[in-house]
Amino acid sequence: MRLPPGVSSSEFAAVVAEFERAVGKQWVFTRDEDVDLYRDAFSPFLHEAEELVASAAVAPSTTLEVQEIVRIANRRKVPLYPISTGKNLGYGGSAPAYSGSVVVDLKRMNRVIEVNEANAFVLLEPGVSYFDLYHHIQERKLKVWIDCPDPGWGSVIGNALDRGGGYTTANYRNHFDSHCGMEIVLPNGELLRTGMGAIPNAKTWQQYKSGCGPWIDGIFSQSNFGIVTKMGFWLMPEPEAYLRGTVSLTRYADLGPMVETLNYLENARITAGFPDIASPLNGYPPIGQLQVWNETGPPSQTDEHRKLLSSAKLGYSPELEAYGVKSGIPYWQLWLSFHGPAGVIEAQWQAAQRHFAKFEGAKFRVIDRVKLPIDPAKADQYHEPELGVPSLRAFSIGARTPWNPTPSKGHMWFSPIVPRTGEAIIEANRVFSEAARELDMPLFRSFSLPACFWERCFIFILATPVTEDPATNKRYREGFKKLIAIGGQHGWGEYRTAPVFQKSVMDVYSFNDHALQRFQETLKDAIDPNGIMSPGRYAIWPKRLRERRS
Amino acid sequence: MSRRGEAWMLLAGFIICGSVWAAEPSDPYAAGRAVYTKWCAPCHDPGVIHPGTNALTAKYQGVKSGVLLEWKDLPPELVRHLVRNGISVMPQFRKTEISDTDLDALAKFLARNTPAQ
Repeated sequence: MRLPPGVSSSEFAAVVAEFERAVGKQWVFTRDEDVDLYRDAFSPFLHEAEELVASAAVAPSTTLEVQEIVRIANRRKVPLYPISTGKNLGYGGSAPAYSGSVVVDLKRMNRVIEVNEANAFVLLEPGVSYFDLYHHIQERKLKVWIDCPDPGWGSVIGNALDRGGGYTTANYRNHFDSHCGMEIVLPNGELLRTGMGAIPNAKTWQQYKSGCGPWIDGIFSQSNFGIVTKMGFWLMPEPEAYLRGTVSLTRYADLGPMVETLNYLENARITAGFPDIASPLNGYPPIGQLQVWNETGPPSQTDEHRKLLSSAKLGYSPELEAYGVKSGIPYWQLWLSFHGPAGVIEAQWQAAQRHFAKFEGAKFRVIDRVKLPIDPAKADQYHEPELGVPSLRAFSIGARTPWNPTPSKGHMWFSPIVPRTGEAIIEANRVFSEAARELDMPLFRSFSLPACFWERCFIFILATPVTEDPATNKRYREGFKKLIAIGGQHGWGEYRTAPVFQKSVMDVYSFNDHALQRFQETLKDAIDPNGIMSPGRYAIWPKRLRERRS
Repeated sequence: MSRRGEAWMLLAGFIICGSVWAAEPSDPYAAGRAVYTKWCAPCHDPGVIHPGTNALTAKYQGVKSGVLLEWKDLPPELVRHLVRNGISVMPQFRKTEISDTDLDALAKFLARNTPAQ
């Protein structure tokens, strides 16, 4: 039996016995072969002693059982690490931030408590995956959509708490922003409901977000202040139709004005679907086509094109631009999508084209006009999440394919937020590609484009592979940390990261001598005096372990 | 109808349902097939859009199918090992996801075309 740090084997045996009484013997896992199932499947410490591992796991099925587990842990000062479904493989999976913690596996709390079609919201538990919620809605023929990230097996609550994103319309793509009301087991075992849920017998828990007084929901995301056992989300009423079109532009210098035009169209809600920027001339796909490229291979390039790309700087050379014009290959291609009544979205697409008509040589093309609902069996003709359909096609990333004979052992996402400007795209490429070359890192080695999940900012999401070779993994880990720090020097920060990198990322958020981190520690000491809840998550260490911060 | 009569009708309904359910030569692999559908199909169903199938097709280069459902050399022990240990970018699966009972049913289903050793 593995042990939490500082807990003797006899003490831990007593804790395990108490957990068994709380949830049933079969739902407490202490044998190595069972606890190993909670290892980070994509750990960059593969085959190394420093890998973050749990001591045990306990799987409650009710909020009452969660409360009992937390009370036991408090009495015995045993660190816990709650996971919803633990399927965020590129951001740390199910392994704890502090080795030896007991994973609280919430997968068995898998109830969809209410889907309200009339006012388009859901209340559910953390073990419910996007697949589960999608099937729940489909089986009942409810006219609401989910908004899911690429892999659909993750937890709706877990992804929101990690501040993940999806692909439908702007109101729903930010999963934490689209939540409404939480239920939380605090580190002392007490139950808290936020927003209108703080009113006993509340009638609008999922209908008005903030309640009255300070709105505290945010502190329970990317943190360690409690275990969220219920959460509400607003859902999109099923749209009548979907239209997807492309805007193709010919000059490198169009990038900045293209982004400005996109920003206006999006912020004015002329387009609300997931905007997707590609560079066919640089061989860079839109995110929505990435799975198809992985499955069937990228479009072929001529020898001349490849040669020009190898000598281009930051995705540009006059010769490359001339080649694009000559060959009819767009420099930039913006994919816009629209959801709504057919007449409305046609008008929005027309308005979008009018705004891009100022670009010399702009070309427009409709890729899809779809009457909704689509037959679920035909959803695979599209990038499924843009139509609110979960899938696992994203796992073609890094997997063996006819185009990738050497599969990775996983990947770590490097995902800095940068401004929504063309200049920032070029500057980030310049800074990170210089650093990546120097650090011998396999990202930013060719011109890269960011994603438009969130309004008003860009986010680069680039995979750093995990390999079988510890020396390579070590180089990538150290390089990853240096890229984080270099980003910070330029005012850019990660939106989310795996526990291995959480200290490096939070060190970037250091305004006024780390005032943010110090405030979080003040909260931690007040809310979790025994320091049992996910110690070290997002670099928030309880007082008794604070020396680990440095 | 008297309340007692209603009770008899209900009871008869249970018996009829029960006997039909028991008498039907049901799919001996139903439980395993359900586990496969929930946990494996999104990556392993036929077609290039399923990354597990695409990976196995590339791995075996036509020597055998990339579709697990068609394999005739998939012993249950191997299924149990891969589900609990993962391979390549496929992670291991926990017992709160696929219980030991579910895993046995899955292994039996996927091994249905594999001759016993």
